[in-house]
Parts: sequence; structure tokens; C-alpha cells
Amino acid sequence: MNEQVDQGQLRTPPGRLFRKYLYSIVALAFAALAINTGFDVWFSYREQKLLLAATQREQAASAAIQIGQFIGQIENQIRWLARLPPELSTNEDERLNAIRLLRLSPAIAELTELDAQGREQVHVSRRVADRVGSKIDRSSLAAFRGANESRAYYGPVYFFADTEPFMTIALRGTGREPNVVIAEVNLRFIWDLVAGIRVGNTGKAYVVDRLGVLIAHPDLWPALRRSDLSGQPDVRAALDGVGPPSGGLIKEDLSGQRVLSTYATVPSLGWLVFVELPLSEAYAPIYASIGRSTFLLIVLLAVAALVSLWLSRRMTVPIQMLTQGARRIGSGDLEQRLAIKTGDELEALGDQFNRMAAHLRESYATLERKVIERTSELEKARDHALAEHDAAERARSVAVAANETKSRFLAVVSHELRTPLNGVMGVLQLLDDGRLSEVQRRHLATAAASGETLIALVDAILEYARLEASAETLETRDFRLDQLIETAADLMRPQAFGKGLSFDLSCDPSVSTSVHGDPVRLNRILLNLIGNAIKFTPSGGISMRATIERRDDQALLRAVVRDTGIGIAPDMHERIFEDFVQADDSIARRFGGTGLGLAIARRLTRLMRGDLTVESMPGNGSVFTLVVPLGAAGSSIVQGALPPPSRPLRVLLVDDDPVNCEVGEAILIRLGHRAAIARNGAAAVALAGSQPFDVVLMDLHMPDMDGVEAATRIRQLPLRPMPRIIVVTADASPSTRERLASADITKVVSKPILINALREAIEDEPEHGATDAPLVSGALIDRHFLDDQKELLGTSQITKLHHLLRETSEKLIADIKAAAAAADPRQLARSAHQLGSAASALGLVSLFERCREIEEAAPSMSAPDCQSAARELAALREVSMCALDNMLAPAEQRSASRNS
Amino acid sequence: MTVRPAPACVVAAVARRDFIRLAGATAAGFFALGATPDRMRIVASITVLPLDDELTKRNMSESSTSRLGALIAGLRQRGWVEGVNYRFEVRSSFGGPDKMRTAVQELVDLKPDVILTGSTVETAAVMAATTTIPIVFATSNDPVGNGFVQSLAHPGGNVTGFTSGAPEMGGKWLQLIKEAVPDIQRIGVLFNPASTPRAGRYYLDSLEQEAATSDVKVDLAPIGTAAEIDGAIARFAEPPKAAMISLVDSFLVVNRQAIVATTAKYRVPMIYPFHYFMDAGGLMSYGPTLEVRSADYVDLILRGTKAGDLPVQSPRKYELLINRTVASALGLKIPYTLLARADEIRE
Repeated sequence: MNEQVDQGQLRTPPGRLFRKYLYSIVALAFAALAINTGFDVWFSYREQKLLLAATQREQAASAAIQIGQFIGQIENQIRWLARLPPELSTNEDERLNAIRLLRLSPAIAELTELDAQGREQVHVSRRVADRVGSKIDRSSLAAFRGANESRAYYGPVYFFADTEPFMTIALRGTGREPNVVIAEVNLRFIWDLVAGIRVGNTGKAYVVDRLGVLIAHPDLWPALRRSDLSGQPDVRAALDGVGPPSGGLIKEDLSGQRVLSTYATVPSLGWLVFVELPLSEAYAPIYASIGRSTFLLIVLLAVAALVSLWLSRRMTVPIQMLTQGARRIGSGDLEQRLAIKTGDELEALGDQFNRMAAHLRESYATLERKVIERTSELEKARDHALAEHDAAERARSVAVAANETKSRFLAVVSHELRTPLNGVMGVLQLLDDGRLSEVQRRHLATAAASGETLIALVDAILEYARLEASAETLETRDFRLDQLIETAADLMRPQAFGKGLSFDLSCDPSVSTSVHGDPVRLNRILLNLIGNAIKFTPSGGISMRATIERRDDQALLRAVVRDTGIGIAPDMHERIFEDFVQADDSIARRFGGTGLGLAIARRLTRLMRGDLTVESMPGNGSVFTLVVPLGAAGSSIVQGALPPPSRPLRVLLVDDDPVNCEVGEAILIRLGHRAAIARNGAAAVALAGSQPFDVVLMDLHMPDMDGVEAATRIRQLPLRPMPRIIVVTADASPSTRERLASADITKVVSKPILINALREAIEDEPEHGATDAPLVSGALIDRHFLDDQKELLGTSQITKLHHLLRETSEKLIADIKAAAAAADPRQLARSAHQLGSAASALGLVSLFERCREIEEAAPSMSAPDCQSAARELAALREVSMCALDNMLAPAEQRSASRNS
Repeated sequence: MTVRPAPACVVAAVARRDFIRLAGATAAGFFALGATPDRMRIVASITVLPLDDELTKRNMSESSTSRLGALIAGLRQRGWVEGVNYRFEVRSSFGGPDKMRTAVQELVDLKPDVILTGSTVETAAVMAATTTIPIVFATSNDPVGNGFVQSLAHPGGNVTGFTSGAPEMGGKWLQLIKEAVPDIQRIGVLFNPASTPRAGRYYLDSLEQEAATSDVKVDLAPIGTAAEIDGAIARFAEPPKAAMISLVDSFLVVNRQAIVATTAKYRVPMIYPFHYFMDAGGLMSYGPTLEVRSADYVDLILRGTKAGDLPVQSPRKYELLINRTVASALGLKIPYTLLARADEIRE
């Protein structure tokens, strides 16, 4: 999502570069063309203007010359008249000559010929009547004076009849008395001339006199109005002698039109000829030129735009390809190659892109290879770590094995220590035959208790090891709690008294009861606590209180051991329960001990789901409080004489040690059973096979054959009844228990043999062997079924069936053998079925089961299988019939004797 | 690149509008520069001649000798084509004052753009009828004296036009006819006081002055109707030897055929002010050449120039026409001075 957004932000809008290029190039081209055209037009404009002005000046000059010629022609004609010799003509002839001149020159309105004195000789006019020889004195005329003073007189322009521009021209003739001819010239005739001056198409020329008054104009009427143009700046400037501007003057003419104006001066007259050309026409070529330039500019711009389009596309397309290529490379597509063939830097850039993609591709490949290598290295490291772990595991296993070895070692050591102790204990127990005095019995009990305590002390280390391995299990049974406590107190009292300490035992009456628990461990805890109290109390005394709290079916024993000893610092209250810890090193030196006592005591307490705590202050003594839950006892235990057994049992005692054998035999006899001795496993098996036993007490550790194997072999014997096998061992390790369990041996009595423990173990048998018989695996006959049959049918009938079965089975076995020899599975199956049916009638379950199995398997049996099956059935029939014989023999004998 | 059609359309639409506007402006410019106004103009003319007179006939329009024809030709040169951008309305005042009033009223009711008048009488009548419609008179001997204009250079008002002769012309006519008929003792002056400037006095001063100089008795022959022509001329057939001058008078122009015929009938030499009389068979004429410039002024007025701003034009040329056949018939010998002066000698 963010990547998309990022890409969206990064993505250049398509065409932006293209437009940028396009606009730039177009702008550049436009600027170049526009500047070029602008300069071109500007210079062209200036040049054309100058050219135009020059042309116009030429026209003005030409017009001025024409006007000059017009006047000059009139002047020549007048001169012709003036220079006629006086002798040539009378007055009348002079008039005629004048008339001729008028006819020749329409512009001359009047001619006056004066003599040298200024008297009028002839006056010829187009308007008034001619006068000849009037002699009127005209010498005062300016024209006359002017003609006499200079070669020719040009009078000022005047307006006749208010509207007609006229001018006086006077010339003097030649000779001694030259006449003066004065002509009034109607300047309206210049109009034809001025109107004929072509200035462009719409331009015009006009003439003003020396005073700025309009003389001639193509439109006649402005001249007729006596227009005074001297007020106009350009006319004024011209009259003042300022030359015309080289580029001409732009001004508004009489009709308000903007014109380009220039002028020229008419020689000798001083008139000014103005030539005006409307700007619209004057600049038309310029405008046309500008128009052409503009058109050209537009065309060039269009071309430039097209070229720009082409160029921009040419420049943009490779860049867009580059962009897309970069994007593809960015998205991981490194296989794409950019194909830019512009033959310039862009192509080079494209090639660089391709090279970069190739490098990236190689880098990725290298990277992947490195990743693979690194992965394999990691795998190796992992394998290595796993190997190390395995090694550690093996080491741990070795350590565990070593620990187990230690445990076994301890067990063996304890076994070896206990063996002589067993002897002592056994003898002490035998001493109490019920005839001892009370004192003797107490001594005896003290000796026994001491012996047991000694065993317990020896066991401490073993027990610690077991506890450490969490292998310790409680061995619970019913016992008298008060007796246990008193025994412990009695055991420790001599020590206390020995140190000069008082020993105060106060047992609550509730303690006088039988409970179910582990008396050995409980005793050990109490002995430890009392021993500690004695050990760490230099003076004063020790007291012990025991109470029972009843809770439901449980009894909660609270035993408080109080002393007046050295006490324990609070920070040591918990540490003293740790292994090998005493309150003080100096204490260890002063008082000795292993430092295991309290640790074992607490662990045992915990094992019994109880608690052991301490309250103490240094110098103020200590108070240890033991709280242990105990179960209710099953039955009360009679002290002293052992109860007689429910029935005397035949017991086979197997032990390689003669003392143990002797003690065991004695105890068994004492318990009212009959004992037989076997000194090794083989002898035990042989003995068990030769005579029936109810119980076999099997020592576990024997030199030739250990107890488990011997028990297994005995189990394999076709014994009826099968003896119960009880293992006697001091090895209570889990491995041993597992071995026993796998050999289906559940009953274990620990060494040294305690008479009560042995009694309970031996007498803890099923109600009656018969009920268990069908459940015993491998049993040949269902005895229960057989008993039911006997009761149902009666003994004689059973006897008859017995004989019948013997004969029938014998015959069927023969059939089966024959069928097997003939490899006839069907016959084999049929005979097996018949045998099974017969066997089931008298409860020969083993034979019945086997027959049924062979019957079902027969169709798929090979010939050798059939023969082996036949042999098996024959053997099984033999065994089963023997067993049946044994069971029925007494009854048959009785019935036979009764019958006999 | 994204093509955006909408702005392109807008540009095209703008360009189209601009083009239309430009074309419209250009057309307007053409119409303004050319003489092609949007409405039909009316050029009205009133003449004292009857409409069937040769001088008013339209088929002579191309002839410069016809005032009307010269006008139409001149207007055409300036872009005014009759029936296309202007209408020409001619009325004749021939037939008496009532007739003249009717004609004037008709023209004024047309609301023409300009009214052309032939003579002083009609000019006065039209001026009385309107003070707004521009009036261009073709001939007026004394417009200032008649009160038509304030001055010749700056007429003012709504009237302008052309003068046909100076008052000195009276003396000139006498000198010329006396040169043709040197032995005259008296000179008869034919005119209609009603239609002659200042009832003839305009020319009579110079005439009488010249008569005194040349010792000729001036004998006025004013007439009021065409019927009096015969009597007026007949008087000068008898001795003492006499010649006659015809003054500038529209009445005489109208009756030129009768006058010329009567002079021939009574063999009375007469000089006329206009060449029209020569066309009718007159002996000689001297007067201003009718360079008809009224087209110029009509054009200016139609384009908006005020008539009062246009100066009254005086004649520039004078021409002398002599019919040698008529002279021979009268037994006259034309002297060199006259022949030298004559612009045209008809045989």
C-alpha cells in the first residue's frame, strides 16, 4: 500500500517532459523568429520611411520645378512682349500683340504696357474694356518700380474679387527707353498643374506663397477661401527657412487625415510646394511588408512547432523508455533490455541502464549464492550445535548413569553392611519368645531398637542418595504410634541422661493408637530431631510432645521437640534444612555429624506430605515442629505374641546366604509355616518342580541365577498350584522394580526381614487360589468350571467323563497326526475341533484354546506347520490330562475306596 | 499528450467571431471610403428652362456644353451614379411665378440633400423656401449684392455657387461689338429687369462709362415678356446705326431662339453673354467659360461639407465666339483684333 502510494507519488506524469521540451523549443523558435522578424520589420520600416520621404521630396522638388517653369513660361512670354522693338508697332499693334499674348497664355488676365516713364500705353484685359494710349501715370506702381529695379518683378499674391488668387509679374524691355510690361496672372491656372501632380494614388500637392497663404490646391475651394496656412507648424517652419525633415513629417491635413508631408521651395518665387501622402497609402508597402513578414513568421512558427513536436518526441520517447526501464528494474525485472537507437548520449544512457541491470542481475546471483552458502554454513552450525547437544545429552546420560552407579554402589554397600546387622537383629527378635520378664523384654526391645536405629543410620546415606534421585518411595503399613514414639524416646534417653540433660516426653492420650504410615521414616525423623536436640544442648533439657489431631479419616501427628541448646540464628533457619549445612562451621567441629540429618528429615517429611519447621534464637534453644498426616490403621496390632497364620503354608526360601536362610527359616517356622531351603536358583527351580509350594521367598541377588530369572523359570513349570513368588531384597531402586514388574513379580519384602513385614507379605494372598486360577495365564484347566461341573454332575459322572475324554482325545490326537502327515488341513481342522469340544467339557481350557486356534489357522497351514501343530497338540493334551488326573485323583480314590 | 478539444473549439469560435468582426469592419470601411452610402441620396435641380429645352435634355448629358450633363458626368467621376446611390430630380420653373412656387415646393418636399438652382430668381425662391437644405446656384452675377452669401470666400448659411461675370463686362461687351460694328452711334441693351441682376444696373455702369469714352449713346431696351422682343429689337434696325447687347438674363436665355431670330430678321448686330445664343445662330458672344464645377460642390456637400464653407467661385476664363457667316450676312467685316481674340470662329 505504501509502496503503491510512493510509486504513485514518484511516478512522473506522462508527457510533462514532452510538453516542457515542446514549449521550450517552440518558445525558442518563436523568440528567434520574432526577434528576427521584428528587427527586419523595424529596419525595413525605417528604410522605407526614409525612401518614402526621399521620393516625396523628389516629387515636391519636381512639382516646384513645374510651378517654376509655369511661371517662367509666363515670364518669358511677357519678356517677349516687353522686348518687341518700339518701332515695330503702333499702339494698335501693341494692343494686338497683347491680345495675342492673352490668347497664348490663358493665365494672364490683364496686360499693361507702360513706357519708361510709367505712363500707360496699352491696357488689355479679358474682363474690362481695353485702353490704348491713355497715358495714365502708373509709375507709382510697385510692379513698375520693381521691374525697373530688377530684371523681373514678382508681386505678392493677392485675391481678386475676394476669391481669385492673382499675382503681378512685371518685366522691363530693352533699349534706351525700355517699356515695362505688367501682367496680372490668374494663379487659378496653377490649379491644373497642381491637380495634375500625382502623389501616389491619394496623395496631393499644394502651394503656399511666401506668407503662408494657400495658392493652389487640388481641391480648388480651399485655395479660394484664402486659407492662411502660416499657422500650421510645418508651414511656419518652412517659411522660417527650416529644411524639411529627412524622414518626412507626419501630420494631419486639412481633412484631418494623417499624412506624410514634405515640401520644396519654388525657385525665384519663394513659394512652398507641400506634398502630402496619406499614411494609409504611404505605409501600405510597409504594412504589406509587415504582413508578409508576419505571415512568414506564422508559417515558420508552424513549421517550428512541427519540428519541435518531432524533436520533443524524439527526445522524450527514449527518456520515457528509460523511465519505464528504470521502473521495471526497480520492480525487480532485470531481464528487460532497453532498445534505444538514437545514436547519442541517450543511447549510451540506455546501454548504461542495460549494463546496470546486468550487473544487478549478477549481483543478485552472487547474493543468492552467498545466501545459499551462508544457509549451508548455518545448517552446519546447527548440526554442530545439535551434535554438541547430543554430546551434552550423552554426558548427562553418563552423569545420570554415574549417579545410578553411585546409587547402586550405595545400595551394595548398605546391603553388605546390613547383612551382619540382619543377623544381629534376627537373633534379638528370636530372643523374645514371650517368656521373658518385663525387664528383659525392655532390654531386648532397647537392643532391637538400637539395632534398627543402626540400620537406619546406615541407611541415611543411602536414603539421602535415594531422596536426591527422587527415587524414594514410602513403605507404608499399620503401626502403633505411641510405641514408635516411646521406642524412639527410649532409644535416645540414655544419650540425654549421659550428657546430664533431662528428657521429658509427654504423649497426648490420642497418640495411643494404630496408624497407617511409614514408621521407619517417621522413626528416623524423630530420632534425628531428638539426636540433634541432645547434640546441640550442652545443659538443660529436652522435651518432646506428641499430639494427634483427627481429621476425617486422617490423623495429623504433631511432634514438638524443644531444647535449651545453643539455638540457631534466624538467617540459618532455612539453611539448616539444606544438604550438608550446619548452623556454623565451628558447630560442625564441636558437634560433628554429616549435616545430612535435617536435610533428610525435611525431605522425608515432605515425602510424607508433612512439614518440618524450626523456631529458634541463638542462646535460647530451639523448637522443631513436625507435622505429618497419617492414615488410619486397618486393624489393631497385638503386641507381643504373633497371631497364628490363617493356614500353614508351604514356603520355599531361596537365599545364597546360610545365615539369612537360617533366620528366614526360623521366622517362617515362628509364623507357623513350613519352610524348605534352596541355596541357589537352580536348586530352587528343581525343588519347585518336584514338590508343591504355596510361596517362594526369593532372594534377588544370587551368584548363579538371580531371583528374577529363577522366578521366571518356576513360572514356566507346569505347577499346580503355582506358588506365589515374593522377592526379598534391599535393592529398592527403580530399575530393579521395573525388572520385577516385567517379570510379573509384585510382591517385594525388603531386607533385613522384619517378622511383621514378612507375615503381612506371606499372608496377603488371594482369598483362595481357585478363584485366581482361570486368570493365571497358561493355566491348563479352569478349575472353577471343573468344580461347578463336579457339583452339577456328581463325582461318578465326572470320573466316567474323565475316562471317556482320555480315550477320545487319544484317538483324536492319532487322527490329527495322520491328517498332518497326509497334509490334509480340513481333516486336521475337523479333528482339532472335535478335540477342542471334548476338552472344553471338563474345563481343559488351554487345550481348547489351542485347538480352536489351529482349527482356524489350518486351511492356510503348510505341511510342516501342520505336523508341528499336531505335535504341539499331542504334548498339550498329555500335560492337560496329567493335570486333570492330579485334580481328580483324590476324589476318584475316595469314590473308588467308597465304592470298594 | 492529451488533446483538449474544448479550448480549441473556443479558439476557433473566437477566431471566427474575430474574422466576422474584421470582415464587417472592412466592409464598413469600404462603404465609408467609397461613395456608396446606405441610403439613396436625392440631388434636386430647378431650372428656368422648360424641360423640353435642349439644354435640359438628358441625352446631352455627356456634353460639357450642357450644365446638367456636365454635372452628371462629374458626379459619376466622383462615384455618384444616378439611380444607384443618388436620385436626380429636376423641376422647371418655366411658366410664371405660380409655376415656380409649385416647383420649388415640390423639390423642398422631397427633402433632397442638395438643390441646384439655375439663376438668381430661382435661387431666391428656393432660399425663401428652405434655410437648411444646401443650395448650389449655377450662375449668380451678384450673390453678395443679392444677399445670397455674406462674402464670396466665406458664404456662410446654406448657399454657395458660381458667379457668371463681373460688372465690368458691360464695357467689355460694348467695346467688342463696337469693334465688330465700328460705325454704331447707339447701343441697345436688351434685358428683363425682373431677371437681370439689379435690374440691369449691375452691368450698366461700366457700359455707360465705356459708351461715354467711345461716344456711343446707350439705349436701354428692357422687356418683360417674350412678345416684347420683336418690338425691342426692331427699334434698333432703324438709323442711327445701332448694335445691341444682351445682358446676363435667364429670361433672355429662355427666349434665345426668338431673340436671335428677331435680330436676324431686323439685321441688328447683337453680342450675347453666353454661347447658348451662338448655338441658336447669334453673331458673337463673350462671357465666362462655363467650367461647370457644381459636381465638385455637390460631391462635397453629399459627403457632409457645409455649403456655407465652400467659397463662391468666379469664372476663370472668358471666351469670345464669332459667327462669321452671321457677320457676313449682316455685312460686317471682323477686324484682326477681334479675330486675334476670338476663341472660336464659326463659319
